[in-house]
Amino acid sequence: MSKKVLRQSRVNRFIHWGTAISIILLIISGLGQLPLYKRYNITKLPGGEWLGSFYNTLDLHYIAAVLLIFVVSFHLVYHGLRREFDILPKKGDLRESYLIIKAMLTKGEEPPADKYLAEQRVAYFFIGINVLVLIGTGMVKVIKNLNGVTLPQFIIAFSTHLHNLATVLLILGIGAHLAAFIFKANRPLLRGIFSGTVDEKYAKERHPLWYKRIKMRI
Amino acid sequence: MTEKINRRTFLRRSTAAGLLSFLAVSGLSENAYGLSDEQEIGTVIDITKCDGCRDLEIPRCVSACRQKNKGRFPEPITDIQPYWPQKKYEDWSDKREVTNRLTPYNWNYVEHLQVDYKGKREDIYLMRRCMHCDHPTCQKLCPFSAIKKDVTGSVSINEELCLGGAKCRDVCPWGIPQRQAGVGLYLKLAPTFAGGGVMYKCDNCRDLLAKDEKPACERACPKGAILTGPKKQMKEYAQRRAEEIGGYIYGDVQNGGTSTFYISKIPFEAISEAIATDKMAQKDTGPGRPLMPERVDNYLESEKGIAGAALTAPIAGAALAAFTAYKTMKGEKVDE
Ligand code: HEM
Ligand code: SF4
Ligand code: SF4
Repeated sequence: MSKKVLRQSRVNRFIHWGTAISIILLIISGLGQLPLYKRYNITKLPGGEWLGSFYNTLDLHYIAAVLLIFVVSFHLVYHGLRREFDILPKKGDLRESYLIIKAMLTKGEEPPADKYLAEQRVAYFFIGINVLVLIGTGMVKVIKNLNGVTLPQFIIAFSTHLHNLATVLLILGIGAHLAAFIFKANRPLLRGIFSGTVDEKYAKERHPLWYKRIKMRI
Repeated sequence: MTEKINRRTFLRRSTAAGLLSFLAVSGLSENAYGLSDEQEIGTVIDITKCDGCRDLEIPRCVSACRQKNKGRFPEPITDIQPYWPQKKYEDWSDKREVTNRLTPYNWNYVEHLQVDYKGKREDIYLMRRCMHCDHPTCQKLCPFSAIKKDVTGSVSINEELCLGGAKCRDVCPWGIPQRQAGVGLYLKLAPTFAGGGVMYKCDNCRDLLAKDEKPACERACPKGAILTGPKKQMKEYAQRRAEEIGGYIYGDVQNGGTSTFYISKIPFEAISEAIATDKMAQKDTGPGRPLMPERVDNYLESEKGIAGAALTAPIAGAALAAFTAYKTMKGEKVDE
């Protein structure tokens, strides 16, 4: 068996899967707040009936929102305190992402990567911004739904439209995130997010800058 | 003691209001009701006073509402498409004359019922329209923010923004807003695949309230069965009146409170049952003929606990993060 190196700590995996699961539930239940499921006969699919009730899906939306907000604030504070910023975009990341994708398509040479590939940092940023917008506007919606609260119409309308727009962008972002694993080159990373470790050989070849750093630390 | 003063001031005010409305009706003054769009407005619908305008084919409040709002009634395109992939669509444009239920062309109606009460068969006439809820689920949950609640409490649908998904009807405890296909914004987007028209309902004559005038239905009623005024006073009046006749109020607590107060000497549960029975007999399952269940919870009230959790989750997440980060930074192995 080949040697492994730790890539994603337990805390990181908790954050990743906490957000992933809550976001999937938020998308399913959020789309349930639009009059979609009945019209497009999704409620007629086996097990789909509960989706027809705005109130069932609203309950789920609230519960999943609690989980998402908890995990996101945990992530921001935890990694902020530990000063771990590997995943924040750096200057030139857009160009570098282009070079990596080109290299994967043409089987050419990739620029040497750190812990995260440039396109991973860009994807993190894009998804992260949308999630923060969804949380912010979602909180306005929650406050608006409290009995006795009547927010000004422009605040309600603004948060609604932004919530809807960020939903569309987030779904596109998550689609791109998943599509990355169509490329064979990216698949060794799957192991990392499930079990925490990746092949040492992969780390050395594809993330030489990161590999050098972790070797120096030991 | 305070009770007495309240009563006296109330009487004084209602006498004044009565006088002023007399002046208004006689055309001397149009805006002397003490209404304004700066305060909450309420409506008493006293069904002990309504006789359904038995002499007329269409009750006066219904004609008045249709007359006042006819310019806003939908004029749909001729080749309306079904709501893909469904085969149907909601079209009332060839049934504009319907006056005995809520439709996009009829925003109020009078329900005529015969209810057995204390061994007597009683005729009841009930003017129905939007209740203008205190916590309107339709307005709060519209996914496009096309519904608005004024300071007066009037809840109105913006015809220009509404896409006709009919969610408001689904989340309204009484299923009030009604849909017309073939009109509105969705025609400009993807009319085959998304949207369904525009939703219509009573807007409490908000344009008239803004001018200090009374709603059209009230102005048309010769019996004084509809009474609009400052909400607090209307509620007090309803309570007093209900006490007086040993009757019941509907709308003060339902859906978390509304601005419409029905007064009846027959319990509303019996009335609701009578509507249900009549609908059953007529095999009427369509929308636009709401019951009057005694107990109507505001669903959003039930989300309160979990809303609190959502609003405090950031603090909980941050606290746990600080604790965990501190432990790992001290070198304790919790992070592998
Ligand atoms: C990944 C995250 C999320 C997605 C994809 C998402 C998506 C949606 C969508 C599509 C809707 C229906 C459209 C609308 O009513 O505007 C909706 C409604 C709603 N969302 Fe979210 N949402 C997310 C996160 C949140 C969060 C974190 C909260 C709370 C803090 C929240 C609170 C709400 C509420 C209360 C509604 C119900 C409709 C309303 O009250 O206006 N959402 N969401
Ligand atoms: S009665 Fe229905 S339509 Fe009218 S304000 Fe209440 S929830 Fe909205
Ligand atoms: S308040 Fe105006 S819109 Fe509402 S039922 Fe009366 S006349 Fe019609």
